[in-house]
Amino acid sequence: MFLHILNYVFTEHTFGIIILLQGEKMMEDRIIFHIDANSAFLSWSAVNALQHGAPVDFREVPSIVGGNQATRHGIVLAKSIPAKKYGIQTGEPIIQARQKCPSLLVIPPEYYVYMRCNAAMCDIVKDFSDRIQVFSIDEVFVDYTGMEKILGDAQAVAHQIKDRIKNELGFTVSVGISSNKLLAKMASDLKKPDAVTTLYRDEIEEKMWVLPVRDLYMVGAATEKKLAKMGIYSIGDLANSEVEFLKDKLMSWGEVIWCFANGIEDSPVKPGGAIPYVKGVGNSCTIHFDVEDRETAHKVLLSLVETVGMRLRQGAFCAKLVQVSVKTSELKTYSHQRKFYVPTDCTNAIFEEACRLFDEVWKGEPIRHLGVRVSELCGNDFVQLSLLENNYEKQRQVDRAVDDIRIKFGSFSVFRAGFLHSRLSPLQGGIVEDFPAMTSIL
Amino acid sequence: MKVSCSKENLTEGINMVQKAVSSKSTLPILEGILIEANQELKLTGNDLELGIECKVPADIQENGSIVINSKIFGDIVRRLPDAEVFIEVTGSNMVIIECENSHFEIKGIPSSGFPALPEIKKENAFVVNQEILRNMIKQTLFAVSMDENRPILTGSLMECKDKKLTFVSIDGFRMALRNYEVDNEAENLKVVIPGKTLNEILKILQPVKDEVSIYSTNNQILFDMNNCKVVSRLLEGEYLNYNGIIPQDYEIKIKVNTKELLAGIERASLVTVDEKRYPVKFNIANDKMVITSNTDIGAVREELKIDMDGGKMDIGFNPRYFIDALKVIEEEQINIFLTSNVGPCTIRPVDKDRFAYMVLPVRTRNE
Repeated sequence: MFLHILNYVFTEHTFGIIILLQGEKMMEDRIIFHIDANSAFLSWSAVNALQHGAPVDFREVPSIVGGNQATRHGIVLAKSIPAKKYGIQTGEPIIQARQKCPSLLVIPPEYYVYMRCNAAMCDIVKDFSDRIQVFSIDEVFVDYTGMEKILGDAQAVAHQIKDRIKNELGFTVSVGISSNKLLAKMASDLKKPDAVTTLYRDEIEEKMWVLPVRDLYMVGAATEKKLAKMGIYSIGDLANSEVEFLKDKLMSWGEVIWCFANGIEDSPVKPGGAIPYVKGVGNSCTIHFDVEDRETAHKVLLSLVETVGMRLRQGAFCAKLVQVSVKTSELKTYSHQRKFYVPTDCTNAIFEEACRLFDEVWKGEPIRHLGVRVSELCGNDFVQLSLLENNYEKQRQVDRAVDDIRIKFGSFSVFRAGFLHSRLSPLQGGIVEDFPAMTSIL
Repeated sequence: MKVSCSKENLTEGINMVQKAVSSKSTLPILEGILIEANQELKLTGNDLELGIECKVPADIQENGSIVINSKIFGDIVRRLPDAEVFIEVTGSNMVIIECENSHFEIKGIPSSGFPALPEIKKENAFVVNQEILRNMIKQTLFAVSMDENRPILTGSLMECKDKKLTFVSIDGFRMALRNYEVDNEAENLKVVIPGKTLNEILKILQPVKDEVSIYSTNNQILFDMNNCKVVSRLLEGEYLNYNGIIPQDYEIKIKVNTKELLAGIERASLVTVDEKRYPVKFNIANDKMVITSNTDIGAVREELKIDMDGGKMDIGFNPRYFIDALKVIEEEQINIFLTSNVGPCTIRPVDKDRFAYMVLPVRTRNE
């Protein structure tokens, strides 16, 4: 079987192999950890509440995180183990969950708490390797390759990380260990909570192939249904199918999941920041009335740019390109874009350019929807200053101070006076979306 | 047409006019060199932006003219033996090139379709010696912008006012300025010459005391050297007010040996593989300048003794910008004026004001 895989890799993934050989080590020699916070939102809120003197630990009573308690809508984002016993499922409407358990405690989402917990978790992980990738708000990949010579055996270190997070931060994590990111992620799913699991290539058959195919990363309900029609129920069934057959039925997707089922995946652990894996930062909103004057449109743009600027700075990026898009009340959409002479992360610089672009493109019709997007990102660690741009240095300092206040005291703790009595929100969208969405690209 | 001239003179002429011949054009005639014999032998290249005309000493037996493909003509003549070259055009536009035992017959194009160089009235000549012009161009050309988004900055400003000739180039991140005192009375000369033209003129000008006369109209400029004429389009638009962007105040003034500083920065930049990203940092304090750079491949530290006036400062620069400027400064000592670690830095001579080089720093994350 293994030989078959190698052969496959050489023929079909020649490009991947070239990268692999150029790396310092063969990919098979890597040690990758996947660290996953157990029921993250709920336990983080619980830890935060306990620190602030809450009488109960949310994790020990039937409770969920989700929606808005006052307006009584929304869905279940996370649930405690006692809540699970009532049959409450992630993703179902809160109303339905309440019917299953009338005494259910509903905790609102607290994004800033999650961001802090994620940062604290990363800080601990960084003590063990410099190559980490924040994969989502509650997951992080660590490339431990080479560190075993300094810090010792991978499994022992994984236990150390897990225990330090538990003792220092008060929540539990599951750690998966393997030779690539996919297997490490599968491994951390095998045993929860508060556990360390290995899933090396020679353990695939025993530990992974026996699982239902739905448990495989990137296989959802739709794919599961299609696979079931082909008689594929377990990951092992999928791994031992003919790849050409899967490609025929599922197109290129079939090949991807076949590789995953066989534990083939060789993407590197990509650090954030300097190398932008984020391509752009955008923000848009449908306004609750039709905007018909330039000044109001500019205000909406400002509220959008406030968030865009902050997201850029939080991600340590600067942007070279800004784009404004307009949707009219008749649902006609158009956009306009321009490059900055020097990359910037300053809210005012982006706002001024966005206004210029808007003025150039807007034909005066009522506006229903406005969007601002910045792209062509680069790191903000070194920026060559220019004679031709206005000097935004003071403005950048203000940005930084405002960011700090907003992160500590909430988005609306400080805002521009122009928004007073304006019917408009001084800030559109959250900052949390910094975390890259889970995609098929690991 | 029937002429003969020495291979050496002909090659020299071809090399000059080829700078103005487009290598790829939709019109084949623009890829050619115009050869004219009318008492004297004249070669012309013209890509409609830049035109170069050059006289070659020759023996004219019969007047006439023809256009011949520049690349073929150049390649042939360069490979001929060092002897007298005979060129003759037959009635069917065939160009016969003969030299010792070689005989070529190449298809020519009738010269009537060749675009004539724009006529520029030879009035109000501005006369300057070749060596000075050459130096001034060389010392400012490197800071010309490559960014086509601001066309005016892709050229150098040449200005003559109050008996002072000035060249200025600005690419947005730096500025190069040179002055020279002239006793010429050309009034209000103020033109922006494309960087490409200056690059070619630089190759034609010789470090000699011979004079070059410069004539200009609204949109054309003519450089007239003894046997060679260069005509170029000028860039249109208003140039930046360069005087306004040079800071008048400073926080720190330092005096340093040019060569030592250049050598230090050059060494420090060796570890900046990707020069766009990694700056070199200057740490200036206590009559000492420490140059450091810290990159993926390693780190470097250079220490330099300086005379200084003012507090201390940590500032980062793209080393390329400093090296370009320092390389063209002949003075042994220079003054450097720093405003802040996010403000412009100006290099000036210790006495007089013959040049000013300004560089904008690189802001690092912690600032």
